[in-house]
Amino acid sequence: MMPSTETYLSKSTAIAARVLGDETIIMSTVDSTIFMLNPTGTVIWLSADGQTPLSRIIEEKVCAEFDVPVEQATADAQDFVSKLAEHGILVVSDRPLSPKEV
Amino acid sequence: MSLLDEMNQKASAQGIPLTAHLDITWRCNERCVHCYLDHDGEGEMSTAEIKDVLTQLADSGTFFLSISGGEPLLRRDCFEILEYARKLGFNVKLKTNAVMIGATQAARLRQLGIEQVQISVYSHLPEVHDAITKLPGSLRRTLEAIGHLTAAGVKVSITNMLMKQNATNAKAVMQLAKDMGVAFTVDPTITPMLNGDRSITQLSISAEELEEIFHTEELVGNVGEFCAPVSEADDDFLEGHSCSAGHTLAYISPFGDVYPCVSFPMPCGNVREKTFREIWYHSDELTELRAVKIKDLPTCSKCSHGSYCSRCPGLAYMEGNMRGPSSADCAKSEARTGIPSAWQTIQRQTQPNWTYPNLVQIKPM
Amino acid sequence: MRPSSEGKSRGVVIEIGGIPIALETSDPGFVKLLKDRYCDYMKAGDRSDFKFRIELIAPEGIDPDADARVWLENGDWQFERGDFRANWNQEKRRGLIRQSANPYAIDSVLRIVHTLLLARTGGFLLHASSAVRNGKAFLFSGLSEAGKTTMARLAPPDVHLLTDEVSYVRRLDDQYLACGTPFAGELGEPGENISAPIAAIYLLEKAPCNKIDPIDTAQAVRRLLRNILFFAHDEELVRLVFESACAIVAAVPVYQFSFFPDQRVWDLIG
Repeated sequence: MMPSTETYLSKSTAIAARVLGDETIIMSTVDSTIFMLNPTGTVIWLSADGQTPLSRIIEEKVCAEFDVPVEQATADAQDFVSKLAEHGILVVSDRPLSPKEV
Repeated sequence: MSLLDEMNQKASAQGIPLTAHLDITWRCNERCVHCYLDHDGEGEMSTAEIKDVLTQLADSGTFFLSISGGEPLLRRDCFEILEYARKLGFNVKLKTNAVMIGATQAARLRQLGIEQVQISVYSHLPEVHDAITKLPGSLRRTLEAIGHLTAAGVKVSITNMLMKQNATNAKAVMQLAKDMGVAFTVDPTITPMLNGDRSITQLSISAEELEEIFHTEELVGNVGEFCAPVSEADDDFLEGHSCSAGHTLAYISPFGDVYPCVSFPMPCGNVREKTFREIWYHSDELTELRAVKIKDLPTCSKCSHGSYCSRCPGLAYMEGNMRGPSSADCAKSEARTGIPSAWQTIQRQTQPNWTYPNLVQIKPM
Repeated sequence: MRPSSEGKSRGVVIEIGGIPIALETSDPGFVKLLKDRYCDYMKAGDRSDFKFRIELIAPEGIDPDADARVWLENGDWQFERGDFRANWNQEKRRGLIRQSANPYAIDSVLRIVHTLLLARTGGFLLHASSAVRNGKAFLFSGLSEAGKTTMARLAPPDVHLLTDEVSYVRRLDDQYLACGTPFAGELGEPGENISAPIAAIYLLEKAPCNKIDPIDTAQAVRRLLRNILFFAHDEELVRLVFESACAIVAAVPVYQFSFFPDQRVWDLIG
């Protein structure tokens, strides 16, 4: 599903992850695939609390920190979220998620 | 460059302990003849202390975490520790003899998302394996456990540690691993005891047996490549370090002692007295270790085996000099290529009756 | 494993030393854990002498190696440790255990219950490994690091291990029996579910060579008492345990066993 901007993100529990500086390393515990997130990806990752909608993450975190136009940030973020969701790294929902639901 | 190499490089540049090895106990229900531990359980860190260490490691940037022992499942809080480690986002490997793993434990390990379980199997023959572990029935129990783990979907890797007693069993153990659908590695290095006692190294396989292992395609892959003669040491190599111990790898004992690696028992500090970060970034011992580059090693920097040598600074340390050679790795280089190392050449020319130096007494802090 | 307070109750009956105790829970995952852990001690059917209902609760960051507290309150025994809280009415033969889903809590509850039951009939649990050879049981007693597990590990194939950690001593008329238990020590395996008359008790000490020496009665009683599992500081129980120690020393030979930990040690046994 292509995430809309009223999308809620949560970190999967089937991963190992560590923020190193402004990058993040993530490994799937299902198939051991490794991901490295750049600073923008890291900002989105850190904000994936299941409660904050993606639109707010983009506006308040991505655009504010990286001085990027909203339209571009939104397109990039949606692409990024889709890829991670496909690999089971992010859990995506159209409503807020509690930790138990993840 | 692979993502893993990239990560290691970034961690190295930033001095981040990307990998940590934590022994949660040295107690064990086996008494392997080659074991480098003394199995003392007095004074182990409590559950709370271990959790605090894990939190500190996570805050320091550690990502890869090996939990081992002794036998870690002898700790009643082992699963609690594993669960806590996973909650902190570590990629967790568990090293165990697996004799205490049944279907329930295997399912739990799967549920926790443990990356891999590493298990030692010494032989496909129970009489050989059990004689090494000194636990009757241990091979049967270990193999049953591997069955439970694979059935539960947990990745397993078998390590086949070679010694005199099982030197001829490596291929059979490899076949056993293949039949069970699990990964396999062979390791011919017997590590001296952490208290400095070298007597167990007498169990090491002979030079001839080592050479045979290194020329067995099933075990090493392309023999021509593996045993290729040496390369010239280039500047990059000489400006580098032997391994990641103390650079991006840390070891913590069940009693809180921090070493560069489990095979490098140089006490750098104790987490019961200082924070891990204080030890990692400010201990005199680690500062000195990190300053040592290959070019600073008097003998090894001039050795023709160069970057092909598996030189372990920990084994060198245990032989009395962390800037010196590791005789076990010299033996491996010679067995691989037929060419003696710089150190071996010197020994043979100058001291035909050379024996090992006095024991290095390693006192934990 | 999530705690569950709803759903149909199911359970297992675990028989140790000839005493069947039923454990009931509505959590199927926990039932499976019990069946796996106590498989050699499960009794078919649901007849039991005592029954405990188990309610699973979330773990609270406790120390599973802490000592348990046991006391009598208004006619009910109360058991408590960081990972469980239980009560037991011995007369009504029923009890309730609230614990996290870890098997060590159940081990502890069972040990406490059996200790209380055995006390009334001259038996006890002892920090000892025990084994059967040629139809006779031998106990090797000592506290931590004395060599209990070592004796079990060194046992040759003709020896049947009853336990490497906690021995079950039952008195039947004038005979003392050692029974297998599922309480595994470092060897990580339950003992064989068999029993045999006790031929000797050895008090362990590691030494450069093997030697078995008789010891006087008073010393035997004193050293046995140090190794008997005892949880409740109840006057009557203390008296019963003391009498049990004296009685067994009068009936069963007790020796000081200084041993060197290699296989030859078993040449001296049985």
